[in-house]
Amino acid sequence: MLTFEIKHQDRYSRGELLLRTFFGWLYIVIPHMFLLFFMSLWGAILSFISFWVVLFTGRYPQSFFEYQVKLIHWNTRLSARMFNLSDDYPPFGLDAKDEYVNVDVQYPERISRGLVLLRLFFGVIYVLIPHLFILFFRIIWTQILVFIAWWVVLITGEFPKSWHEFIVGTLRWQTRVNLYMSYMTDVYPPFSGKP
Amino acid sequence: MFILHFQENHNFMTEENYNPIPQPDEIDIREKEDAMGAYLMMFAALGAGLPLPILNLVAAIIYYYINKGKSLFVRFHSLQSLLSQLPTSILNAIAVFWGARIVFFDYAFTDVFKGYLWLVGIANLIYIIFSIIGAVKARKGQMYYFLFFGRVSYQSVFKRREADSLKVVNQPPKM
Repeated sequence: MLTFEIKHQDRYSRGELLLRTFFGWLYIVIPHMFLLFFMSLWGAILSFISFWVVLFTGRYPQSFFEYQVKLIHWNTRLSARMFNLSDDYPPFGLDAKDEYVNVDVQYPERISRGLVLLRLFFGVIYVLIPHLFILFFRIIWTQILVFIAWWVVLITGEFPKSWHEFIVGTLRWQTRVNLYMSYMTDVYPPFSGKP
Repeated sequence: MFILHFQENHNFMTEENYNPIPQPDEIDIREKEDAMGAYLMMFAALGAGLPLPILNLVAAIIYYYINKGKSLFVRFHSLQSLLSQLPTSILNAIAVFWGARIVFFDYAFTDVFKGYLWLVGIANLIYIIFSIIGAVKARKGQMYYFLFFGRVSYQSVFKRREADSLKVVNQPPKM
């Protein structure tokens, strides 16, 4: 259903790490967030409309779906750099390719209308509360790992692979919950960050 | 002779002048959904969570420019949706502006304003009803022509444009 991969590199650039840490907000975050703000606004509009379309037709409009997937891909490219999971500058644009980040979601031909209503009225109870409760602790641990990994990369030039997998797993988990709550899939998100 | 001359100088909606209209079974589901989406841009302000009626118009314009290259069917519905949104958007914008003056600058809440609000309400209701019908028809792969806007959109989208007419011909200066 969801392909969510951030490639683990054998070597990481210490120079880029320092550059990102001290000036990343200036040359990565601000330009990307500026564009992503408008793109996300459009995504929110399409998402709202898609809800009604799914409710009445049982199908998520394919063009809208592809836009949302591209938007997730772009966000993930940015997150990968902010968590120091990948080197290089994240490419701009919805159609941009990234050699380190691969995100794809299989298009579902049908979406259950019953589940749409269930999520609308009870999604907070049976999806958000249990997932966010666990994710809250996982995100804290992820932040700690990101901090320690920063020093490891600075000293050794390598990112511990298991830590990398854990951090990617957290992002994957969040993405799965988002997909489910935005009616893009009927598959209940597993309580795991594994692929 | 006169009729022939008249026809040559006027663009009639004949098969020669216009591209053929696609039939429902010739249109794939993706195109139908894209065409339907155009009418649903009337809910853009709700989706964005910003109570600005002009946002619907902006969304319709963006949607038209994103989708106009996809197919004639999608382009027609996108344009019709955009054009039909103009009157209500203007009416709504005036209502918001007028209302803001009453709320923030202590202008009188006159009967004229009340009457105007009724007008805006009825105009929006008519617009929403027709747009929903348009969305449903588009989802079924059908053409649906709004009063006036349908004809304008059809002429704009389906009219054949001869390649020669777009060709630039350099001319000598006027003597």
